[in-house]
Amino acid sequence: MSEPNVDGNPANTSSAHKEPHHLRRAVIIWAVLSVLGIIATILLSPIIMPPAASALDSADNFTFTVFTVLAVPVAMFVFVFLGYSLIVFRTKGRPTEDGIPLQPTPFIQIGWLGITSALCLFLVIWGLFAFYQETAAASSNTLQVQVTGQQWMWTFYYPQYGVSSQGQVLELPVNRPVEFYVTSKDVLHGFAIRAFGIRVDANPGEVTTTPLVTPSVIGQYEVACVELCGLYHSYMWEFVNVVSTDSFNSWIVDHGGHL
Amino acid sequence: MTEGKTIEGESRRTNLMQMLFPSVVSGVVLGVIGAVVFGVVVGLITQQQNQDAQLVAAYIGWTLFFFIGIGAFEGITTWGFARRELTLEEEHKLAGKGQGLWRYFRYTTDHKVVGMQYLALTLVLFFFGSMGAFMIRLEQSVPGAIFFNPQTYNTIVGMHGILMIVATIIMVSGPFGNFILPIMIGARDMAFPRLNALSFWLVFAAAPVFFSTLAFGGFPTGWTGYAPLAVQEMTPGMDAYCFTIILFATSTTVAAMNIVTTVLVMRTKGMTWGRLPIFVWGVILSVILGLTAFPSFLISQVMVLMDRVFQTSFFIATFGGSNWLYEHLFWFMGHPEVYVIALPAMATAAEVTAVFARKPVFGYRLLVSGLIGVCVLSTVVWGHHLYTSGANTALDGPYMLDTELISIPTGLFFLGMIGTFWRGKIWMTVPILFVAGMLVNFVIGGVTGIYLADLPTDEILHGGMFVTAHFHFTLVGSMVFGFFAGFYYWFPKMLGKRLDPVLGRIHFWLFEIGFLGTFLSLFYAGLLGEPRWSANVAPMFAVPNLIASLFAILIAASVFTLVYNVIITLARGERAEANEWGGKTLEWTVPTPVPLENFEHLPVVTSLPYNYGSPEPVTEKATGIAIDMPLQTQSED
Repeated sequence: MSEPNVDGNPANTSSAHKEPHHLRRAVIIWAVLSVLGIIATILLSPIIMPPAASALDSADNFTFTVFTVLAVPVAMFVFVFLGYSLIVFRTKGRPTEDGIPLQPTPFIQIGWLGITSALCLFLVIWGLFAFYQETAAASSNTLQVQVTGQQWMWTFYYPQYGVSSQGQVLELPVNRPVEFYVTSKDVLHGFAIRAFGIRVDANPGEVTTTPLVTPSVIGQYEVACVELCGLYHSYMWEFVNVVSTDSFNSWIVDHGGHL
Repeated sequence: MTEGKTIEGESRRTNLMQMLFPSVVSGVVLGVIGAVVFGVVVGLITQQQNQDAQLVAAYIGWTLFFFIGIGAFEGITTWGFARRELTLEEEHKLAGKGQGLWRYFRYTTDHKVVGMQYLALTLVLFFFGSMGAFMIRLEQSVPGAIFFNPQTYNTIVGMHGILMIVATIIMVSGPFGNFILPIMIGARDMAFPRLNALSFWLVFAAAPVFFSTLAFGGFPTGWTGYAPLAVQEMTPGMDAYCFTIILFATSTTVAAMNIVTTVLVMRTKGMTWGRLPIFVWGVILSVILGLTAFPSFLISQVMVLMDRVFQTSFFIATFGGSNWLYEHLFWFMGHPEVYVIALPAMATAAEVTAVFARKPVFGYRLLVSGLIGVCVLSTVVWGHHLYTSGANTALDGPYMLDTELISIPTGLFFLGMIGTFWRGKIWMTVPILFVAGMLVNFVIGGVTGIYLADLPTDEILHGGMFVTAHFHFTLVGSMVFGFFAGFYYWFPKMLGKRLDPVLGRIHFWLFEIGFLGTFLSLFYAGLLGEPRWSANVAPMFAVPNLIASLFAILIAASVFTLVYNVIITLARGERAEANEWGGKTLEWTVPTPVPLENFEHLPVVTSLPYNYGSPEPVTEKATGIAIDMPLQTQSED
């Protein structure tokens, strides 16, 4: 192998004559911007994130924020070193001489691999833990809801009460765990309630379930279809009403169900 | 067959028939006749009961007779069964020697002609695809389906998707992989010149099939063509989608085999694997990945067509089929495919950076191993597209692990790029601007991929606008920017003209600012929970969608700037030098326009082409060692 340029890394030695210490400068800029970025992420995320109506969704939102905090220094590293190079090392017109033929030292190679691997490992472990925490044990008062997607509406059936939501509104009592059994009559649909942090496909011929979710805030939220299901896919929106237990019970009775 | 010696002499006296046959004109004429005949015959057999069968038959007729008309089978009895080998004159005729501009409209085997054909096709596809994008932004700028009805909108989304996917898959490996790559490795042509022509004309033949969907009601499935919907769909426009994919997947397979073989066997003396330019690594890894990925796409579409035409039930749950089967087949192609797009564009960026920073690639072997790592790991990540399918397999964890492992070799790419910029003598040209933009966008696209790879966050983002914004950041912001870096870099070599650098800079800044504005606001819409594919934007997402649409105007302006720049350069651009940028790879050592057999004497390579800052030459020049190779090595096989 004739590879002529496997020199050391002269840029990193402090003996560079008269040149400003570029590496130190860039690292300082990177550190400052990263800290600012992380602070901004922490301050802004409550404003940017949509309100969560279940512990599951707040946990997902929290994971999102944690990952963003990690991502800021990574992105800043590229932005700063790229920007610094483009501003400081640019030539006027066509360069007449060549750049310094740098090659990565073993230290840089191993360090870089180590840092990226550690970050990657953290993401995987965090993801697995956060995900398996969601598989909570079913409690005795779990509300079961059978969700059926069809072109282009959702219907909700409450087998424990023998009642079906006729007005295409998903009515749920607050602070009671719900388990959704999701299927489809025709093509693939995607059952998603952003405010609860649940999302699962409605497959024809299969019944899929979501993790156990407990709506914790009274209010109105949306069910969306998140798999392209044909002509009126984007009209396949319905409302979720999270109401008090009393209101829920009277809603059941009003719709001809038995308590 | 016409005798080769008479070609030159007769070329001035050829009559119109000889000029048109064989050429794309006769191909289209025969193809249309073939389509009508096949469609009518099958219509008679099925008594007009099966529109899908008729249409698929028409597409088959079109394809077959188009290739007869364009002369793909020319000489097959003479040479195809090895009754005798081609003479040099016959090879030159096939390569388009002395045919002027007509060679671009024929089944020409010269790799440079094929490269130019691919370049033109890529730009045309990009243009139509971007028009689709602007229509999407128009529709989504305000809530409610106002500008298009949902059926039209769904078709526009699907057409935009397929046009862009096809364009991005061919954008680097097609134009530069065909034109530049053989010169870069010191070859006189590709290993299989006729397959090379076949791969291009298959994409070309797919275009009318694809656009015919407009005449048959469009297709509602978007570019993914998810199966129960694709089978259920009554309008025959869906068949156009399936058949387009079949043709396109065949084309990529043919092209991939050709490029792999070329790099394996046709490197010049001294061009060891350790001296291959990064670009060649990127292209060959990409096409190897394509060879594993695309067959499953082809098969999935054959199965959908069988479900539609013969009422089989691969994907129909009531008859024992499964939509998960389709999802697996599709994403087994779909995820490696984005790396098929990514690898050559990343490699192009590395190639360009070394030239304009006047520095060797920082950590050549590390960077190449990064590309190899991406290539290997990406074959088994497709399951993350099924996280929320409800299948809940035990593999969700491993899929997540593998998906996130990809960030390690991708990190090596960033190390190589940043290291190449660092302490360089950076010449701020248009290509390097696009590389810089690519790196900025690629970081954003990369870190947002983490949220989608990780199970807990994917749960709030899957199937939403966040996904759309993420893959636009990687495919458009990163890879299309990488393509444009290559486009501005190699345009002077390919066309011999200098693109206007001022217009190039305007193109870049309009594109970059418009792009960031558009897709950063779509990230926000996705975070709020907006689903993809919405003709009717829900009112709560109206603001980010409007902002995105307004920024898209800048992207539209950038598209027209590029079109204007290309047209004005072709019309009256300055002539470029043979080595316009001072590059050291072999394509800059040959004259512009590149002669038919590329090299007078095949060069002997002695080092990596990045020895900036070192006096050693890349090739042994004028030492008398240059060797003469037989002209077309194909005939040696």
